[in-house]
Amino acid sequence: MQSKLQSTPILLFNDECGVCRSIASWVKKQAQAGSGATSIVVRPIGQDPDELLSLNQGLNIWDAYATIHLLMPDGSMKLGGEAVAEVLRHLPSTRWFAWTFAISVFGVRPFQAILNLAYAILADVRPVFGCESCGTPSPWVRPIRWIVEWVESLFGGIHHPSPSRHFTSLPARGRPPQTHHI
Amino acid sequence: MPGYKSIDRIRTVTASTFDRLVLKGEGPIVVEFMSYGCAHCGVIEPDLQQVAEIVESTEKIFRVNIALDRELADLYEVQGTPTLIMFLNGAIVGRDEGPSPDVSNLLAVVKQPYES
Repeated sequence: MQSKLQSTPILLFNDECGVCRSIASWVKKQAQAGSGATSIVVRPIGQDPDELLSLNQGLNIWDAYATIHLLMPDGSMKLGGEAVAEVLRHLPSTRWFAWTFAISVFGVRPFQAILNLAYAILADVRPVFGCESCGTPSPWVRPIRWIVEWVESLFGGIHHPSPSRHFTSLPARGRPPQTHHI
Repeated sequence: MPGYKSIDRIRTVTASTFDRLVLKGEGPIVVEFMSYGCAHCGVIEPDLQQVAEIVESTEKIFRVNIALDRELADLYEVQGTPTLIMFLNGAIVGRDEGPSPDVSNLLAVVKQPYES
């Protein structure tokens, strides 16, 4: 149950992930477009498990980092593709087509299913496109990563091997984060 | 990730409590340098909670959130997360970077330095 009175949904994003930061920034901009009042509050997950619990008693910080969470004013939470659909319903620039996600044919919501799949693919490919902390890519993504690293190496990019494939290298202070082979 | 939600068996230490709880602590003490945004840390979390429960009579396991306590990470030359550092009476006796996420491996990692 959401314990703080909140009239607009809260979108939590992973601020350690470049892709997530870009998407959150876009949502924030779109949410403020038009009337001036924001239709969605966009905030980083942060590092305080207790602070998250104060937003919603059912919210676990590890889960919040594992998948996108949208905290609804009624205390419920929407996750993954369902959260994306709800965000699109709340944005002035996308709500015109977001109603399609609710269309049900014989109990199946085809557009929502496509959105769920798109979200799953995006979540999987994040490590290739700028998520410094998203962990080991899924097996199907690894060849894409190898190709990206190979292309980058052609243009002078340097990759530092990690001591373990279960390890996230820290970005050195003052330098951009390093990617590494898996 | 079920299993870690009910009881958190890994206590968080900060720069202000590290000296008292880790360096001056008695017996084997394992410190996990982690951050909540690190996917690999999330993967080992349930297994590490289980290990903490298994070894709780002989060892203490703490965590340092390097997103909040980067100075401690720098002090112990932590290059990434998760990194486990094993202490005994304030001295480092073992270290493992990116341990494989399974209970038997983690159990070996946190026990082996104290067996010799």
